[in-house]
Formats: sequence, structure tokens, C-alpha cells
Amino acid sequence: MDDDILLEEEQGWSQDQRAEYMLGALVCVVVALLLAMLIFVFHEAWPSFAHNGFAWFGAGGSVDSQIQAIFTSGDLKEAAVYTFHAWPLIWSTILTTGAAVVIAFVSSLFVAVFIVEFAPIRLRRVLEPVVRLLASVPSVIYGLVGVLVLVPFIGNHLITQHEKASVTPIIQLSGSSVLAAVLILTVMIAPIMVAIFAEGLRAVPRGWLEGSLALGVNRWRTFWKVAVRTARPVLVAGTVLATARALGEAVMLSMVSGGVGFAPNPADGLIFLFEPSRPLAATIISNTEQLSSPPMKHTLYAIAAVLLFSAAMLSLIGWAAKQPMKRYGVVA
Amino acid sequence: MKKGMTLRSRTRTFVGLLAAIPALALPAAAGATTLFGSGSSAEQPILNVLFRGYSQAHHHIKFNFLPDGGNAGVKDVQAGRREFAVNTRPPLPSDSGTTQFKLFLDGLCVAVNPSNSLSNLSIAQAKDIFTGVDTSWSQVGGSNLTSTIDPVGRNSSAGSYTFFQSAVLGGKTQSSNVHPVTSDGLVATAVHGDPNAIGYVGLAHSGKGSGIKPVELNGVACDTANIKNETYPLFRFIWGVVPTSHPSLQVENFIEWVRTSKAAGQIISRAGAVPAFNK
Amino acid sequence: MSSAPASLIAAPSPPPPAPVRRSESSASWRLTDRIGLGFAWLLGLLFCAIAVAIVGYFLVEGLRYLRPSLLVTNPAAGVSESQTGGFLDPLLGTVIISAMAMAIALPAGIAIAVWLSEFGRPAALARVAESGIEMLAGTPSVVLALFGTLLFEAPALGFLSQTSHGIVLGQSFFAASAMLSLVALPMVVATVREGLQAIPSHVREASYAVGKTKIATTRRVLLPAARPSVITGAMLGVGRVIGDTAIVLLLLGGTLTFSSATSTPLLGTLRGTGDTLTGYIYYNAPTGDGNQPSKAYAAAFVLMLIVLTLNVGVDFAVRRSRAGGWS
Repeated sequence: MDDDILLEEEQGWSQDQRAEYMLGALVCVVVALLLAMLIFVFHEAWPSFAHNGFAWFGAGGSVDSQIQAIFTSGDLKEAAVYTFHAWPLIWSTILTTGAAVVIAFVSSLFVAVFIVEFAPIRLRRVLEPVVRLLASVPSVIYGLVGVLVLVPFIGNHLITQHEKASVTPIIQLSGSSVLAAVLILTVMIAPIMVAIFAEGLRAVPRGWLEGSLALGVNRWRTFWKVAVRTARPVLVAGTVLATARALGEAVMLSMVSGGVGFAPNPADGLIFLFEPSRPLAATIISNTEQLSSPPMKHTLYAIAAVLLFSAAMLSLIGWAAKQPMKRYGVVA
Repeated sequence: MKKGMTLRSRTRTFVGLLAAIPALALPAAAGATTLFGSGSSAEQPILNVLFRGYSQAHHHIKFNFLPDGGNAGVKDVQAGRREFAVNTRPPLPSDSGTTQFKLFLDGLCVAVNPSNSLSNLSIAQAKDIFTGVDTSWSQVGGSNLTSTIDPVGRNSSAGSYTFFQSAVLGGKTQSSNVHPVTSDGLVATAVHGDPNAIGYVGLAHSGKGSGIKPVELNGVACDTANIKNETYPLFRFIWGVVPTSHPSLQVENFIEWVRTSKAAGQIISRAGAVPAFNK
Repeated sequence: MSSAPASLIAAPSPPPPAPVRRSESSASWRLTDRIGLGFAWLLGLLFCAIAVAIVGYFLVEGLRYLRPSLLVTNPAAGVSESQTGGFLDPLLGTVIISAMAMAIALPAGIAIAVWLSEFGRPAALARVAESGIEMLAGTPSVVLALFGTLLFEAPALGFLSQTSHGIVLGQSFFAASAMLSLVALPMVVATVREGLQAIPSHVREASYAVGKTKIATTRRVLLPAARPSVITGAMLGVGRVIGDTAIVLLLLGGTLTFSSATSTPLLGTLRGTGDTLTGYIYYNAPTGDGNQPSKAYAAAFVLMLIVLTLNVGVDFAVRRSRAGGWS
């Protein structure tokens, strides 16, 4: 009898061990694949960084003519040209992503609070599926709405003739602008944030809220001071996810952001909102036809490497932001 | 226990159904040869019709065309990745190792919004507009508008841009106030939506239903007759590119069919382009 | 004792008054709080309005142009709208690609999530895996598409796509699905892991107490209990896969209809090129080269219907499986 139990235990143990090794091997394979991707991308990107050094991230000259020079140099059998100063593209990315995330964060937080706590039951039952539906709409649809509806509206009704004339030989104020890009991007990432925030807010222990209510704090303050504070790790996680999504949006932004490698200047006043630009991911997708030219390929991979690096930095920032919150014992 | 078993059988039927779906896609006829090509994405619609016409006449030939751009197509042929390419710009010295054939004619129309009364433009005026010298419609004779000009063009990797650059801009780059978009369709959409816009598109996108108005260049209208007799200034040939060494015989037959056969000529004219050598 | 029958005969005491549910009126709050509530209402309704506007726009345009024949006709090369056929092939392409991507991502994601939450040794590997998956979640799909072109043009992977004159072409359903599974993987891992961690530890302990091994516990007890999370994760993954354009543009070849590599019925199609609904919409929209805007709108409508059905179906499935869960 004892021998049987011991034998069964041994078999059970090795069954677990086998499972652990197999699963661990799968995890190792996936990690190896991701590492391989990192290595490949940085390897292909290296020539572009090597030729430019840190000036790669700086400003200097027109990005678009640099791109054309790089492409044509790959055609001719002369020395390949790698000069590339990506600052206008980087600035455009920071601008559109940053503004969209800030606006989306504030609105999504309010909408999430509304959905979880303050909406009447019927409205809540309508809003929840609406949020989920919007979160899964493909970005092509948003791009189409942007190009067919938003861009002509901005171009014909919001930009005045005077503004267009004031900048005219340098850039064109068509509707494809920072404003259009930020608006569409906000509408695209807000549902994701709302869904994640709402789930996090719902997970706050009810007793904590009831305790605060029992002390006489009104519902609004209770919810904000207790629930939102408790759900801060979820807020961070949702923001990181939405920022990553905004950074990587390529196809849609190439249609509505203006397509010119121009760095919008806040000092221009109101016109700043209408200036065209082109973020990093949109630059990759509008130049995929030039992948066959080696210097252009290295430059595009360099841009991809910068995007990968920012994604890694984002997760690091998210992790760092959650660390001080762990003190409160909330599961991050 | 029971739930698990029905779940498994349910999963199995689901997977079986899914596996059947690709079988719905008709498999290629046994012994079919696939000809691989790449090149201009703007010409893809008309090329697809040509491929279909050729495959209907020669049942064992299939085509696989990757629309990665005219310049990339030539590179693909040079590297041996593709058997043929289709390009919208004339051969360059950098296209060494390839033989290029004129397939058919196309034209680049300059178009404005229908609310603009402009009907004729000289090449010099077009150059001034797209290099940023003329910035207001009041500087362009023949237009009823006095607002800022909103020029729309193609991005730097497009064959149309290279052609426009050499034929109109005299080799200069497009001014930075030209809004560069990535397809002819986007040019048409932009010109259609903005009363102050002017842009250059292929003939197929400037027809009657497109919502934009092509103007005459140097007094010559952008239509098939003027392109065919080459009086319209911005006519261009669409080129077929094959490798010089060991070109595929079937590809050469296809190119010959496109150039000279009557069926191909009908397809080309119905698609909005202009047959050049077809009987 | 004598009062007892009297109290029985006497009128029964009235039931205690029902507790009056006094919901707090916002009129008693401070001004800033009321403004905040008003702002929340405003944004909530604005949200609804935008959703209705976007969905409604495509509904209206789509209904105008959608005919049932479009769903069952293959796309054909043609010039006018009447000749270009329907979008059966792109529709099937979307289904195939999501199925294949999830077929890779779902088992792999569940396995990784199980390992991370149940095993997780050595700790260094666990941390690396976690950061790797998070980084993957933040990677733009353009970068994955670029990497895919590098990867699938390698001669060793030539069996996954077509080869022409010894050079691997690298565009096929296999290539696109493999990269799309990477897009869906982080969603699956995150949701399943959350679901597994939400199961209280006494469930596991009870299972070990009756002698089950860890892996048997996971298979028979934990995963079935976490089914809502698995379904949610799968649905989130499918949503992302269906909506992706960059990978489809670079790795699927963009041919109108299925272009099979060989004449083998299943493998030939998967090794060949094709198109998906998103690629079809991108190509035929007024902004693309195909110039068939009515077909694009119809296809966009169908795509939104698919997304809607997915949402509703998953809601239903989650609610049904939650009915027998650990409340």
C-alpha cells in the first residue's frame, strides 16, 4: 500500500517536472524569438546609426530631401549616402502621441468613472458594449473617417484663408494636420483606456468605498479619492498600453497627419495646430516601396529600432511608475 | 466530465470546418505556371485585367503581382526576385541588366476642383505653382479664385512624381508646400474636397465621375486622342521590364500580347489608358 | 401566557417599514464636485455620440452599397464597378488569417500564462519572459512586418511561401499569420494570467490535497475556471488581428484572389498570397488605387458587422461560462 502511494507520488512528481520543462522550453523559444527580432532589427539598423552618430536624432536640413538622397544613392553604384537627421519625425511623434495620450487619459478617466459609478443602469448597459465595440474597430475605418470627413472639414471650415496665405510657400495648411492626427488618435485609443480603467475601477473592494461613504464623504469624492487612487496601477497600465498603440499607428496617421517631414512649431500660435507633419511609424509605411535600396533599408530599420526602443522604454516607465504604488498592497 | 468531452468534440468540428475553408479557394489547375511580377501599384487595376485576359486565352498561365512600386519592381528584376516588372518611368542608367519594353500609353492630367474656372495652364505656370513661385490663384490667369493655391502631389518614391519632376519641374524638387500623398486616389480625394486645390493624377482617376476637373496643358486637353498622337505634353509610356540574361519565354509572350494583340488593346482602352501599338 | 393567544388574535404587527433607499442627491455637493459630475456626463454622452457617428456613417454607406451577391462572388479584375465582382476572397482571407493567427497564439499564450502563474522558475527567466511579452505588446505592427519580411525571405523558411528561380518570395498566409500571432500573443497572455491569478489559492490547495499533480490541476480545474478570461483574451487577440493593416500589406502579397502556390488543396492556398478585408478596403477606398468606393464601403460594413458579432458572441459566451464560475 505504502509502496503504491510512493510510486504514485513519484509518477506525479515527474509528470509535473516534465510539464514544467516543456512549458519552460516553450517560453524559452518565444523569448529567443523576441531576442532574435531585437538583434536582427538593430543589426540592420546599425549602418544608419554608425554613419550619423547622435546627429541621427538631431535636426538639420529637410528630412524629405535627405530621404530622397538616400534612396537615389542606393540606385547608383556610387558611395551610399546615409545622412539623416530625424528630429522633425521624432518631434512629430512626440507631439501627436503625447497630446493624444493626455487628452485621452483625462477623458477616458472621466468616462470610466461615469460608466462604473454614476451612469444610470440603462445608460451603463448601452455604454459598455459601445466601448468594447469602439476598441475593436480596425484602424483603417478610423483612417477613412479621418480622410473623408475630418480632414476636409478642418481644411475648408477651420483654417482661414489668411492663415493659409501666411505660410504658403513653405508649407500648405490643408486639413491634414496635427489637429486631425491628434483627434483621430484620441478617438482611437480612448476606448482601450476606458475599457481597462473601468475594469480596474470595478475591482476596487466595495467595502473601502462603503467605509468612506459611511464617514460622510459624498459619492463623487469617495470615488475619486478612494477608488481612483486605488486603481492607479491599472491607470498606469492602461496608459502604457494606449501610448504603445498610438506610437505604432502607421497606416492611419500616414493618411491624416500631412505626410511632410516638417517639425510643427508651437511658437506659430494657432497655426501650429494646422501644420502638417509625419510621425516615425507613418514614415516607415510610406517608404516601404524603397526597401529595395540598401541605404534606405538601413534607414528604415533604424527608425524601426527607435520605435522598438521606445516601446521597451515605455514598459520600463510603466514598471517604475507602479513600484511606489506597491506599498499600498494593491495588486498591480 | 461530460462538458469536457463535448467541448473537445466541438473544438474538433470547429477546427475541421476552418480547415475546409481554404479548400473553398479553388486550387490551381495542375501544371499551371505562375509568372511572378512586381512594380507600380497605380497600374495594378489595369494589369489585373490584362492578367485575367491573358489567362483566359492561355489556361495554364497564372500571374502573381506584388505592387511594391515601380522603382522597387525594377530592383526586383535586377536581383532576380521577380520575372518581370511594370514601371511608369522611362529607363534610367541605374536599370542596368534589364531590357525594357513600351507596353501602352498613359497620361498625367493636371486637375483642379470643379469650382475653379481655370481651364488652361501652361507648363511654365504649372512649374511655378509646384515649385512655390506662384502662391495665390490671383497670380494665375484664367482662375476666378483669389485664394491661396493648395498644390497636391505624390510622394518621392512614386513613379508619377519622378515623371512630373522631369517633365514639368525641370528636375527641381517639388516645393515643400506641395502636400505629398501616397496614391493617385488620395490626390483625387484632396482636389475634390478642397476648392483651392490643384494636383496631378493619372488619366484613370480624372474621368467624368471622379469629381475633379482636368485642365488643358498648353492648350491641349488631357484625353485619349491627344495622348495617342502624343500631342499632350504629359504623355508617358508604361514600361515592362525583364532581365536581359535568361528572360522567361512566357513573360516575353505575355509582353508581346499586351503590346500588339487586339484583345489587349480593347482591355487597355476600356480601363482608361491608351493602347500604343495594338492593332 | 394568556397574552399569547391574545396577541395571536390581535392584528399582526405591521411589517417594519421598507428601508427607504435614499440615493444621494448631487445637489448637496460642492460646486467643483458637481462640475466634475457634469463633465463626466458630458464626456460619456460625447463618447456615445462619436461611436454612433462612426458606426452610423459606415452603416448608412454600407447598407447603400451592400448586396448579398458581393459576399459570395470572387473579386475579379475589371474596370467598372459591375465587373469587379464581390469580396468573397478577402472575406475568407480575413477568416483564415485570424483562425491561423489564433491557432498559434492561443495555445502558446495559454501555455506561457500557465507557466508564468503556476511555475515560474527560474525567477530570472520569468522576469525576462514578462518583460519580453510586455515589450511585444508595445511593438508597432510595422516593425513586426519589417522583421517578417527579413525572416520569411530566408532560404530556410522557403517552404512557408513560394520560391521563384531559387529566391524565396516571402509573402504568404503562413508568413502573415505568424507575425499576426505575435500581435495577438500579449493580449492572450495578459488576460489568461490575470484570470488564473484571480482564482483563490484554496482551490489549488484543495486539488493538491486530493492528490492531483500541478499540471493536472491546471488542466482540469484552473483553466476551465478561467474560461471567461481565456475567451476574453482570445477575443481581444482576434480583434487586433482582424484590424491590422501593416502586416497584411507587407506580408500577404495583395493579390485579388487566392493565388495558391501549388495545387495541394490546403497547403497550397496557405503558402500562396491573397488579401484580407482590411487590405481590400484600403485598396478600394476613395484613397487607394482600386477606385471602387462603393465596394469599399460595403466591405467596411461587413467588417464592422463581423467585429460586432464577435463582441456580442463573446459577451454571451463569457456570461454563460461565468454562470458556473467562482462568484
